[in-house]
Amino acid sequence: MIRYILLVLVIGATMGYLNNSFERPIANSFVSEYLFDFALLLLLFLMGLAFGVNKEALIKLKKARLKVLVLPFSIALGSILGGLVSGYVLGIDAYASMAVCSGFGWYTLAGPLVGQLFGVEFGALGFVVNFLRELLTIVTISLTSKLDKHVPIAFGGATTMDTTLPVIVRYCGNEALITAFASGFTLSAIAPFAITAIATLR
Amino acid sequence: MLRILVLVAPLVAGILLGYLLSNRKPVNLNKVTFVAIILLIFSLGFTIGASDEMLNALPRVGLSAIVILLLTVFFSAVLAKAATKAVGMK
Repeated sequence: MIRYILLVLVIGATMGYLNNSFERPIANSFVSEYLFDFALLLLLFLMGLAFGVNKEALIKLKKARLKVLVLPFSIALGSILGGLVSGYVLGIDAYASMAVCSGFGWYTLAGPLVGQLFGVEFGALGFVVNFLRELLTIVTISLTSKLDKHVPIAFGGATTMDTTLPVIVRYCGNEALITAFASGFTLSAIAPFAITAIATLR
Repeated sequence: MLRILVLVAPLVAGILLGYLLSNRKPVNLNKVTFVAIILLIFSLGFTIGASDEMLNALPRVGLSAIVILLLTVFFSAVLAKAATKAVGMK
């Protein structure tokens, strides 16, 4: 599975690049918006279907209840801690690096927002770090899923409610669906507040 | 907010339908899911390759980005594992 994913990722990136070089014979928005959304919505429906059929998964969810929120908050804390440590390691503004990490993988948010609050250079960093986080989650899924069921969800951060969700469910099983979705959902909701809050503290 | 609703709707619809159909003979969805994942990853790759913003920023901030990324996912994974273990989440 992971081999096909990596192959298709590389083919997609190459085609996107070539498409731009040859004056866009395919409209970028067609692939980036329509095809992406179509595949995503279809996947969410299919994963919901597989989850609903599985009675055990529903029983487990009922038992877990509010405990599912422990995961996203620990991921948020870990991300910000990672930002703090890397600020010192790299000798850069630790507030900015914490804000960068508080995108939790949501690069279309972190890039512009961090850029606005901390300047263009950190905006670029926010964009790249969070984009690479999504990529790393997909690329390392076959390894991280063996460590612990929650490790790929921690890697994915906010992206586990959409892009990386199907891959995580594929590797961690149907029971991971709600845990991963709830975690990504919560982190997506926290991200804009966390970034602005860190900027105000500075 | 609208984006979140758009994502939640098919998920909930799927779960409800799955629940209603759960007593019937199971249908294998692996093939359709596989095709949809491939389409999703392809369009993700395409978006990256077609993003000039991305391609310009990458070489400029690449090294610091990798250091930040690795520390971030490391601490996230460690804290997530410790926290879920502490509350007994399986």
